[in-house]
Amino acid sequence: MTTAEPQAQKTTVTVTVDGVTFEAQPGELVIKAAQEHGVYIPRFCWHERMEPVGMCRMCLVEIEGGRGYPPACTTPVADGMVVHTQTDAVKQIQDGVLEFLLINHPLDCPVCDRGGECPLQDQTLAFGPGESRFVEEKRHFPKPIPLSELVLLDRERCIQCARCIRFADEIAGDVLIDFVDRGDRMQVLNFEEQPFDSYFSGNTVQICPVGALTASQYRFRARPWDLSTVETSCTTCSMHCRGAVQSSSNRLVRLLAVDSEPVNHGWLCDKGRYGLEWVHSEHRLIEPQVRDGGVWSEVSWPDALDRAADAIETAKELHGADAIAVLGGARGTNEDAYVWSVLAKGVIGTDNVDAQLGDGLPAEFVLGMERAEIADLDRARAIVVLDHDLRDEVPVLFLRLRRAVLELGVPLVDLAPAAHGLSAHAAVIARTVPGEPLAANVHDEISRACEGRQGRVVVVVGRGNLAAAADSIVGAAAELARVHDVRFLSALRRGNVHGALDAGLAPGFLPGRTTLDAGRAWFTDQWGGVPAERGLDAEGILRAAADGKIRVLVLVGADPVSDFPDATLARRAIDAVDTIIAVDGFESESTKRAEVFLPCTLWGEKAGTVTNLEGRVQRVGRKVAPEGTAMDDWRIAAELALRLGRDLDLATVDEVTDEIARVAPAFAGVTSELVKSARDGAVLPVAGHLDEIVLRTGELSIMADDGSGTSWDPIKVHGEAPEEPADESEVTAHVDAPALHVWDRRAPQPEAPARDAYALRLVVGRALYDDGRLVSETPLLQRLVRDPDLRVHPSDLARIGVDSGGQVKVTSTRGSQVVAVRADAGVPAGIACMDFSADALGAALLVDAGQPVVDLRVESLR
Amino acid sequence: MGRFSGFLVTLRQMGKPRLTTEYPKVKHDKPERLHGRHVLNRYEDGMEKCIGCELCAGVCPARCIYVRGADNPIDDPVSPGERYGFVYEINYLRCIHCDLCVEACPTEAITETKLFEFSFTNRSDAIYTKDQLLVDDAGRAQRLPWELWLGGEDDATSAWMRATSPSGASAYEGRVSWSGELGFGVRPPEHGQQPANPKPQDD
Amino acid sequence: MTETRIVTKRLRDRPDDSWTIDGALASGAYEQLRAVLAKGDTADVQEQVKLSGLRGRGGAGFPTAQKWSFLPPDSFPRYLVVNADEGEPSTFKDRMLLERDPHQLVEGIAISSYSVKCNVAYVYVRGEFALGYERLARAIDDARAKGFLGRDILGSGFDCDIVVHRGAGAYICGEETALLESLEGSQGMPRIRPPFPAIEGLYAKPTVVNNVETLSTVPHIVRMGGEEYAKLGVNRSTGTRIFSVSGHVNQPGNYEVELGMTFRDLLYGLAGGVRENRKIKFFIPGGASSQWLTGSDEHLDAPLDMDFVQQTFGVMLGSGAIMVYDETVDPVLIAWRLAKFFAHESCGKCTPCREGTGWIEKVLYRMSHGLGRPADLDLLVDVGGNISPGVVNAPFVQTTICPLGPSAVSCIASLNKFFRDEVLERLRNDAGAHA
Repeated sequence: MTTAEPQAQKTTVTVTVDGVTFEAQPGELVIKAAQEHGVYIPRFCWHERMEPVGMCRMCLVEIEGGRGYPPACTTPVADGMVVHTQTDAVKQIQDGVLEFLLINHPLDCPVCDRGGECPLQDQTLAFGPGESRFVEEKRHFPKPIPLSELVLLDRERCIQCARCIRFADEIAGDVLIDFVDRGDRMQVLNFEEQPFDSYFSGNTVQICPVGALTASQYRFRARPWDLSTVETSCTTCSMHCRGAVQSSSNRLVRLLAVDSEPVNHGWLCDKGRYGLEWVHSEHRLIEPQVRDGGVWSEVSWPDALDRAADAIETAKELHGADAIAVLGGARGTNEDAYVWSVLAKGVIGTDNVDAQLGDGLPAEFVLGMERAEIADLDRARAIVVLDHDLRDEVPVLFLRLRRAVLELGVPLVDLAPAAHGLSAHAAVIARTVPGEPLAANVHDEISRACEGRQGRVVVVVGRGNLAAAADSIVGAAAELARVHDVRFLSALRRGNVHGALDAGLAPGFLPGRTTLDAGRAWFTDQWGGVPAERGLDAEGILRAAADGKIRVLVLVGADPVSDFPDATLARRAIDAVDTIIAVDGFESESTKRAEVFLPCTLWGEKAGTVTNLEGRVQRVGRKVAPEGTAMDDWRIAAELALRLGRDLDLATVDEVTDEIARVAPAFAGVTSELVKSARDGAVLPVAGHLDEIVLRTGELSIMADDGSGTSWDPIKVHGEAPEEPADESEVTAHVDAPALHVWDRRAPQPEAPARDAYALRLVVGRALYDDGRLVSETPLLQRLVRDPDLRVHPSDLARIGVDSGGQVKVTSTRGSQVVAVRADAGVPAGIACMDFSADALGAALLVDAGQPVVDLRVESLR
Repeated sequence: MGRFSGFLVTLRQMGKPRLTTEYPKVKHDKPERLHGRHVLNRYEDGMEKCIGCELCAGVCPARCIYVRGADNPIDDPVSPGERYGFVYEINYLRCIHCDLCVEACPTEAITETKLFEFSFTNRSDAIYTKDQLLVDDAGRAQRLPWELWLGGEDDATSAWMRATSPSGASAYEGRVSWSGELGFGVRPPEHGQQPANPKPQDD
Repeated sequence: MTETRIVTKRLRDRPDDSWTIDGALASGAYEQLRAVLAKGDTADVQEQVKLSGLRGRGGAGFPTAQKWSFLPPDSFPRYLVVNADEGEPSTFKDRMLLERDPHQLVEGIAISSYSVKCNVAYVYVRGEFALGYERLARAIDDARAKGFLGRDILGSGFDCDIVVHRGAGAYICGEETALLESLEGSQGMPRIRPPFPAIEGLYAKPTVVNNVETLSTVPHIVRMGGEEYAKLGVNRSTGTRIFSVSGHVNQPGNYEVELGMTFRDLLYGLAGGVRENRKIKFFIPGGASSQWLTGSDEHLDAPLDMDFVQQTFGVMLGSGAIMVYDETVDPVLIAWRLAKFFAHESCGKCTPCREGTGWIEKVLYRMSHGLGRPADLDLLVDVGGNISPGVVNAPFVQTTICPLGPSAVSCIASLNKFFRDEVLERLRNDAGAHA
């Protein structure tokens, strides 16, 4: 140890690796500290997001003064430590380990999906022997075998690093694969008759250092050298995990997770990772169409746009702007949403605009609540979950939550209506009953859970139950807002719903989190006009449409009939509207009735920015040219505006981004330049998060710097803090711009009927693999959709007099239908849970949006 | 004088031996390693050698090869193993006959014949598909309608020699590799070459 | 030459009922426990064990008192785990102790638990020991009924109970951290150290892992006093040890002898010499993991002293199992059989052992079945060196977590050291025959 001058506060340790001396954090592992200072120690089993196991023995090093060769992945740095990774002895060990790994590894690199980007290939070239001395018969297994629909296993190629097993156990909590047998017969397998059905199984394919685990989606689709890559964000849900999307011959073939510290930690869910095929589906409509006399015909874009503009203009003249409504907008980019907002509110002049389709929360609450960031979960005093099952709705947020609770020890207060993936780890469980206020002692319970802890309380709030009015959630949130130092994290799941709300696609709001009233003067100035009065939300629009008050309904990537919780109402509304203008990629139950169909680009075909659930604005990338003549949504809106007499003067997507930054108060400073240069994007409003901005210092490369392989260690984009923080004035809105909306914490009183002893109160949540377009047009994911069933507590099942798995008749105010029923001890007595589905057996036919809750009468068929 | 000086050149050549031949009546002997048009080979049981690995496409400096792999049908496999090349196209408008694809091929599926007598009148003829490149049952290249084939070239084909060594070891320099299965026999090593598979030395 | 019977005294003296509670009580069982509890001095037991110089009898020979002293003083609960997973080929001493004197072990556990202040002890019994398990379980029940286990033992206020767990047939579970993993319900795979079991062992609590013979000796140390016990033996190898002698000797069996006796006295004096008066070609002095010794005078006259054989010949007394092979034996075949064992038992966690043991086994199979190649021996030495650099020339280190990998290399090192010429000659002939 050095006897330096008395540095009382020295918090780092001095380490020397291969002659490079640097300061490291105490407790940091040698392998990581060395890598961060430019010394790459080869490894297979170690992954920086998982606990080290020291199995592969590739990272053995020599430490002066120590005995033997300790693994760099399990050895923490110590002050004065001198490490050698290139001595003859260490090189001999590396050479030996690689030779051992290769003796039973088949030489089928040419047909292996990993060939060409394989860590085993690369490290063998860098550290291994030139030729094998192994002349015996190699190990043989049938190849490949499916672990699940998504993941295939080739046990011959496996090098037993346990990365997949550890991921499933430590990170995902789905202990569905493990080693069986031992010695060189040891193999990874799933358990008998239990496939590896994890929502996160694709991550094991990405972190596998060989081609043992391959994705059935990517199998033989391309080879690494014919892929091209663009950095993007996944918009399957509102988490917006960073990714690298790859295409070959103008088809999206693979999405890899990029490790973003504030967002996804290098993980993706399977729906996001494998939901690519739908973009190239043969069912996609890629040319504009109009309906004449009930017959569809393909027309040119100008004709279709003229027709749509005429319909809007006529309706406005005859019935006023309020007779026009716009639904949707949560699927595209911020730019799409903004220009549609301009079109609807500034040009047409209607406030009947809503991007949420009945599964959101009131914009007053979402746009005005005090927001937490995802990273706040890690340092929270406690986490309160006021939602359904996050694993199904926002899967990677579930992983972050799980890490915060299990690894970092943050206490979890579980207020969900039924048990979910994290309930087993909750410090406090108080089940919320739909329609009823929170339990009276919830504040005591929260204080008890946080005892002795510092930090904020983070409330994760989503629309946990589609069968109950959103008011009760807002009411509960208002109650929780009384907790000291509390922040809210939205768990609304729709792709870019937060971006759409921020862009003003909500009744009563204008872009940039400002209300219609507050922003009237400013936006009249900018846009030349705004609606006079607050309009209707999605439910109100559908209701008005059903009553014949909406003449033109524009569906921007929306399908109310299949997506709105109350399908009965949605169907009536769609049937009653005179003219439907659909901006979509597919024909749906709703767009079938459209008069004009305008094909739009989908994810992967368009560039722009999106805003995730914490308000982080990040880029999405364009990887392939659009199918057919599909156009970006924002451009369609701009073309319609032109035909309605307003030239928005927007030519490129960057110009739209810059206009948003200039016009929308919450977006002040979020210019196209900032979004491109900030590695992790920027959290709105930027003024409050300036210190979090990291500038990228290089472009994304899926190849590791040291050439040690591709996409198996976390893929990172290099960045550094800006030399000097941006000037506040650059990120502050214009002095005349309106202030941001603040939630007034008003709590609507839920006025649900008392629970009836003979009925079960319905809880409807979203399943990850739902009947949405992404899943239904991706055959691989389509196979994973579960048949919806009714889950009730075993005691209720006994009372109904039916066995688990049997059929029951359920009756709500909307009608009756027959569904399968299953016992689930995680569902409280008196509650019935069901996944949302709009098909013939789905919950959508039971939900009545007019009622605060839905009570089901359940009868045995016998 | 000036205007006749050109004829002097002609006159001077008249007595000298001629280097040109009357092609196609007379054909030069081709260099043994001539790189002609490619064939895709089969094993003796008729299975295709190509496994669709795209290494040829990856190495091709002219980017003229397009390959797509697919899962071998279990009940009717096209090639041995998991994967076969279900699309294989060479664009001869771009091919420079460098033979790197042959070097890269791990299964000796693609080799170059000595055939050079082919030309095209349209673009689609120039893009040879897998069906056109595959050898016939006798192991010989298929004669396509637009190919001339004045004879001789398809007999002396199939052998190739490594320009690069598989492991970078100099011991492989100049070592011949032969596709003996093709039915044309195997040539003896030329001067300075080593046999493809030397008998393992005892001790 | 005679045995020095301390640990095996009861079972030799009372062959008919040594394992019953009555037989045991009649021959002085639990008296030392009573005395220790009456005295009420936990430190004294540790002091006596320290004075006795007792070293672990499982194989590594680590001083027992020192192991106990690693327990952090203020961390509770803590556990005593008894390693009765005697899987080392040809070792059968613990089995005898379990089957024929379980009460001695129970008493040893109780005294040791009292000394290290632990209230629950786990005995991990090798799964194949059906009779041993039965008798131990019975002994624990009987002891509990008599008040030697359970709550408030003999009115002293000390609680101690024993849980018996049967293994499922994995050699690796004899390695202490793999044993703990197995006990916790996971696959038997060694853990990375640090943390050492004494700090974070069973259920992440401080844990002492001791061998059956070690703990069976403890009551006798208490009885004799540490200093008296230490007078037995030689140098730092104090006391007696049970040696399991097998192979080509006329009287194979377990012999408890004072350490320091020569191999010759043990093998010829007690075990009756080699069958048909043949010469010893080689013998394995400490279980399958150990390197070999030959029948030379230098080796036979060496004392049974753990440190001496380690330093002089680079072999270990290990688990105390001595396998003797006469001159009719093919050492390559023996090496193959040993390699096959290790390849079969490698847990698969570390690459060098997982792949290396299998490779070694395949090469040795060829060599021992007439399919060898001239370069095979050097290949084996080199491959072995990648599992355990320097194993051919001590001191060696290992590239694996636990010593199973290096154990598989012992036979190669020995082949190379003692039979190199013979093996090379044979490989040349084999190659010639197949040329």
